[in-house]
Amino acid sequence: MPEQPKVGRRPVTGEVAAAGALVVIALASLWQTAVIPVSPIYARVGPTLFPQIASWGLLVIAVLLLIQAFRGGFGVEESLSIDWRALAWVAAGLTANVVLIGTLGFVFAAIALFVCVSRGFGSTGLVRDAVIGTIIAFGAYLGFEKLLGVNIGAGILEGLI
Amino acid sequence: MSGSITRRGALAAAGALALAHPARAQAQAQARFESVFMFVPAAPGGGWDSTGRAIEQAARAAGLVGSFQFENVGGGGGMVGLPRFVNQRRGQANAMIVGGSIMLGTGITGKSSVTVRDVQPIARLTSEAGVIVVPAASPFRDFAGLAAALRANPGAVPIGGSVAGGIDHILLGLILRALGQAPRSASYVGFQAGGQNIAAVLGGQVQASISGYSEFAEQIKAGRLRALAISGEARLAGDGADIPTLREQGVDVTLANWRGVFGAPGTTAAQQAALAALMGAVHATPQWQEILRTRGWADAFLAGEAFGRFVERDIADTEAVLKDLGLA
Amino acid sequence: MDTLAALAGGFATALTPTHLMFAFIGCFLGTAVGVLPGIGPALTVALLLPITFQVPATSAFILFAGVYYGAMYGGSTTSILLNTPGESATIITALEGHKMARAGRAGPALATAAIGSFVAGTIATGALTFAAPVVVELALKLGPAEYFSLMVVAFVAVSAVLGASALRGLACLFLGLLLGIVGVDLQTGQPRFTFGMIEFLDGIEVTIVAVGLFAVAETLHLATRRKHGEDEIIPLQGSLWLSREDWARSWKPWLRGAFLGFPFGAIPAGGSELPTFLSYYMEKKLSKNPAEFGHGAIEGVAGPEAANNASAAGVLMPMLTLGLPTSVTAAIMLSAFQSYGIQPGPMLFVTQGDLVWGLIASLYVGNVMLLVLNLPLVGLWVKILKIPTPQLYAGILVFATIGAYGVSNSVVDLLVMYAVGIVGLFMKRYDFPVAPAVIGMILGPLAEQAFRQALTISQGDPFTFITRPISASFLVVALLLAVGPKLWNAYAASRARA
Repeated sequence: MPEQPKVGRRPVTGEVAAAGALVVIALASLWQTAVIPVSPIYARVGPTLFPQIASWGLLVIAVLLLIQAFRGGFGVEESLSIDWRALAWVAAGLTANVVLIGTLGFVFAAIALFVCVSRGFGSTGLVRDAVIGTIIAFGAYLGFEKLLGVNIGAGILEGLI
Repeated sequence: MSGSITRRGALAAAGALALAHPARAQAQAQARFESVFMFVPAAPGGGWDSTGRAIEQAARAAGLVGSFQFENVGGGGGMVGLPRFVNQRRGQANAMIVGGSIMLGTGITGKSSVTVRDVQPIARLTSEAGVIVVPAASPFRDFAGLAAALRANPGAVPIGGSVAGGIDHILLGLILRALGQAPRSASYVGFQAGGQNIAAVLGGQVQASISGYSEFAEQIKAGRLRALAISGEARLAGDGADIPTLREQGVDVTLANWRGVFGAPGTTAAQQAALAALMGAVHATPQWQEILRTRGWADAFLAGEAFGRFVERDIADTEAVLKDLGLA
Repeated sequence: MDTLAALAGGFATALTPTHLMFAFIGCFLGTAVGVLPGIGPALTVALLLPITFQVPATSAFILFAGVYYGAMYGGSTTSILLNTPGESATIITALEGHKMARAGRAGPALATAAIGSFVAGTIATGALTFAAPVVVELALKLGPAEYFSLMVVAFVAVSAVLGASALRGLACLFLGLLLGIVGVDLQTGQPRFTFGMIEFLDGIEVTIVAVGLFAVAETLHLATRRKHGEDEIIPLQGSLWLSREDWARSWKPWLRGAFLGFPFGAIPAGGSELPTFLSYYMEKKLSKNPAEFGHGAIEGVAGPEAANNASAAGVLMPMLTLGLPTSVTAAIMLSAFQSYGIQPGPMLFVTQGDLVWGLIASLYVGNVMLLVLNLPLVGLWVKILKIPTPQLYAGILVFATIGAYGVSNSVVDLLVMYAVGIVGLFMKRYDFPVAPAVIGMILGPLAEQAFRQALTISQGDPFTFITRPISASFLVVALLLAVGPKLWNAYAASRARA
C-alpha cells in the first residue's frame, strides 16, 4: 500500500463526507437490488446476483475508506480552498442549460451556458462571449439540421429557420 | 453503377404509370397535407426512424405533403417518447408517431401509465415475421423434431434471441404454450443486438435461435443455418418461400414485428380519417413500393378500424404471454 | 496470388477520382463526428443511409468506411486535447494523452496517435485481406463461457489503472459496475436500478458517463481552483513532431496494439474498448518507465490507439465474410448493403468481388488519407489549446451538451452527465482515479451477461468455464497475470538469497 493512514491525525471532514457518500450509494444500491422483481423465468443465475456482489463490494470498500478518513485521511495533499464564485457561475450555466434546452431550445441554452461558464472562468467581455456562443450554437445547429437532418433540440428560434 | 441506374429507371417508369392513372392522382390530391409532424420515439438510425423517413421520402416525392418536421426522442423501447407525444401534441391534426409491436411489449413490461392505447391507430405499414433456425449440423431436421424436444424438456434446449421479454422471447412463449408447456420453463438466452445472436447459433453455442427473418436470411441461403418455421400468417414471398409457417406445422401461432403510425389523442374521427387517407395514398405511390422492395420490408398495409382491432388483439396476446413470463 | 490480383483490381476501383473524393468526404465527416462525444460513426452512417438511393454501392461503401475509420482518429484528438473522449474506444487514450497535452506535449501525443492508427489500420487491413475467413471461423468457436473468461483477463488488467490507492480505485470500479447494471436485464427482462424511471430502461450511455467524469468534472474542478491561478495548461513545448526517443518508445506499442486489436474486432462480444484496456495494461507492464504512466507516458497513447483502429478493421471481417455484424456501425452498414439488394454473407466475395475488393482497397487509401489529413492538422489542432481558458472550457461544455442531448433529445441524459460531473469533481478533489469507473461500466455488463448466458447454455453446470478448453486457457492466462509476477519476484528473491 503506497499510503499509510497517519494514526493520530484528526479526521478529515471532506474525506469523511466523500466516504460517507459512498456508503450511502452502496446502501441505495442494496435497496434497489432488493426491489428487482423476482422473475419466474427459468434462469440459472438470477438478475440480482451481480448487483448484490457490486453493492456489497462497494459497501465494504466504502466502510474501509470511512475508517481511513476518520484515522487521518487518505493521505491526499491538502486541498486548496474552493473558489465558490467561479463554481457558482459554472453551476448557474449548467442549470440554465438544462432549464432552457427544453423550452427555448438548444441555441439559447447553449448561449447561456457559454456566457456563464466564460464568466466563471474570469472572462469580462459579456457581449463578446455572447457573440462567440451564438456563432458556435448556430453553427452546430445548422450543421446538424442541414447536413445530417437531425434536430438537436428545437425551440423558438429553431422553429423560425 | 448499373444497379442504381436500373433502380432509377424503374422509378421513372413507375412514376409515369401513376400519372397515367387518373383515379389515383385524384386520391392523392384529396390527401394532400401542407405539413406533417412526425414523431419518432427512437434515436435516428433504427427501424422506426427509417420507417418515418421513408414515409417522408415517398410522400414528398409524390407531392402528398409539403414539408415534414421530425422529432426523435429515444429510450425505453419507445416508452420515453410516447408520453411526450401524448402530452405535447394533443389535438394536433397533422401529428403522427411511429410505433409498432415492440411498443406494446415495453408498455406492458415497463408498467407505463401512457401506452399505445393513448394514441389513435392510423395505419400499419410493414411487418416482419420471425423465423426459428438451427445450425446446419443440428439433429433437428424439421420443426417437429424441435417441438418434440421442447415438449419433452424445454429447459434442455437453450434457445437464443434478443432481450428477454422482447418479441423473440414472446414468440417462443407462444410456441411453448401451444405445445402445452409453460413459457417460463424455456432456457432462453438473451443476446445484445449486433450479431451476437447469429454468432451464437452459427457457432452451435445455442441449439436454436429466433429472430426476424432478415437477420438470418443470408445464413439460411448459404446453408449454414436451417430454417424450421416462420411465424407469419402466410409463407414469405420470394426468398424463403420454402419455409413452412408454424400453422402449417400444427402450431397455431402467428406473430410479426409490425411497424405503423398513430395519430395524436384528442383528434376528431375526421382528422384521423384524413391521416389514414394520406397513408393510403403514400402506400399507393410507386416510391413507397420501391422502398419496400429495396429495404426488404414486407407490405402489411392495414388502416383505420381494422388496424385498431388488430392492435387490441395484439395487446391481449402479448399481455398473456408476458404474464406467463412474470413480466406483466 | 488470386488475392493480390483481386486487390490490384480493387485499387483500380478505389483510385478513380470519384471514389477518392468519396473517401475524402468520408474521412472528413468521420473525423468531425468522432470529435463529438456521443455522436459516433454508427449514427453518422445511419444518417447518411439515404445516400444509397443516389450513388452506386461502391461509392457509398467507400464513404461509410471513411466515416468509420475517420471517427477513430477524431475521437482520439478530443481525448488528448480536451480530455473529452469522443468515442468509448478512445477513453483510455485520454488517460495518458491528456496528461501529455497538459505537459505541453500535445503535438507528439497527437502524432503518435495518428501514426499508430495508420500503422495498425494498415496491418489490420492487410490481415483482413489475407486471413479473414480463418480468423472468423476461429472467432465463432468462442461462446459466452469464453467471453466470460476473457472478461476475467480484462478485470485483472484493470489493476493497471487503479491508480495510487487500490482502495479508492476499487471503490470507483464498483461504482462503475453499479452504473453498468442500470437498465433492463437481458436474461430476465426485469428493470434494474431504474428508480422507476422509463428513461433508464435502456441503461446509461458509457460516453455520457465518460464525458461527465472527464470533461464536466475537470471544468468544475478547475473552476473551484480558479482563484489560485493554477492549472493553466502548460504552453506547448518543443517540437510538434515525434522526437527520436518518441519514435523508439512508440513503434513497439503500435505493433502490439495492432495484433491485440484486430482479433477482438472479429469477436461478436469483443468491442473496440476491450483491446484498448488490454493494450494499456500490456504497455504499462512492459514499459521501462512504468512510473511515467499516469503522468503522460507516450506508450499509453500509442498502444491503445493502435488497438482501437485495428479492431475497427477487424469488425469488417465477420461482416464481409459472414454478414455478421459485431458492432453497431457494422450492423448499419449491413442494412446499407441490403438497400442495394446485396446480401453480405458467405457468398459476397464471389458474387460482389468488385465491390468487396474496391472497399478493401479503399480502406488502405482511407488510412493514407487520414494520415495525410491528420498529421498537418496536428499543428492546427494544438492551437485549440491557445484559446483563452474561459472560452475553451465554455466551448467544451457546449460540445458535451450537444453530444449528450443532441441526438436523444433527453434532458435526463443531460442531467446524468452533469450529476456524474459533480461526482467526478469530488473524485478529483480526493484523488479517486476515474478510469476504473468507466472500465467497470463497460466490462461489468459484458461479464455478467456472458456468465449467465454460459450457465443457461450449460444448464447450470458451473464447470463449463473450465471444461471448455479455450475458456480454461483464458482463465490460466488470467491466473498467470494475477499471481505470476509475484511468484517470479519470490523466486528471484529466493535465488538471490541462495
